[in-house]
Amino acid sequence: MKDFKIVFTGPPGAGKTTAITALSDTPPVATDVRNTDASLSKGSTTVGLDFGLIDLGGGQSVRLFGTPGQPRFKFMWRVIATDALGLVILNDNSLPDPLAELAIYLDAYKDLLPAMSCVVGVGRMSRNPSPSIDDYSDMLARRGLLLPVLSADVRNRDDVLMLVEIVLAQAETRV
Amino acid sequence: MSTHLSSIVDKARFAADALVAAIGVNSAVVISTEDGFDLAHAGGRATEPARLAAMMSSFAAVGAAASQEADIGVPRCMVVESTQGRLVVRCMQVGGEPIVVMLLTDKNVLLGLAWNQLSAIERTLNQK
Repeated sequence: MKDFKIVFTGPPGAGKTTAITALSDTPPVATDVRNTDASLSKGSTTVGLDFGLIDLGGGQSVRLFGTPGQPRFKFMWRVIATDALGLVILNDNSLPDPLAELAIYLDAYKDLLPAMSCVVGVGRMSRNPSPSIDDYSDMLARRGLLLPVLSADVRNRDDVLMLVEIVLAQAETRV
Repeated sequence: MSTHLSSIVDKARFAADALVAAIGVNSAVVISTEDGFDLAHAGGRATEPARLAAMMSSFAAVGAAASQEADIGVPRCMVVESTQGRLVVRCMQVGGEPIVVMLLTDKNVLLGLAWNQLSAIERTLNQK
């Protein structure tokens, strides 16, 4: 039995819980509670973690963990990322400054990124085309990072699966 | 913060002070929303209430998920028993609002006393 751990992180509302729910072969574990933060336009928010499982067959599985998005839960970001194979950073292009949002998570995982597979999935790009994928790549390059960036609709299982497959493929090339 | 939550803050401050008075000065209390915002805190121990509020929110939520998974209902209380003391976390409803109360005590404080005082605080918070 071999299993891999992949962590979904990113700002609140980017769709981490939705993505894990879309992919999980088992009923996902969610720790959502009612949101009391007026600055977030959402009814509930994750405060602990999300968990789901993909059965790859042949005794292999992928454990999916989601972090809470708000920086006040930063202590959970590192706890959840312990021993992870890779990281999926989900961003939301409808936020006022999506690149600044991404920077928060790149900084938080800065010391882990050199040894960890990572992909950036950008949501809500169809209605919010700026910043573009090139803008994201340029921003990452300025930080010395070469990471795949792609548009992703987290409600679409295939889009989320693509992000996971990229992380797994990156990990394979590292071996 | 909702108007209803704002109305709880004064009660929460009073309750936090009362709890510290009942348990002892070397204790601390943080009362927070279930999504991790500090509503009130009290106590003589050096703590960062905002950080503890967020941590207890995560702890309570993971406890709730585990309770659901184990099919044992809604969690009421969780305890972190450590070498130098303990954290007792009580999930409660105050006027329909879910609230998390964390009590930090020395190891010599009886757990039963902590539970008893937390129950008393729940009653106090729900008095009109």
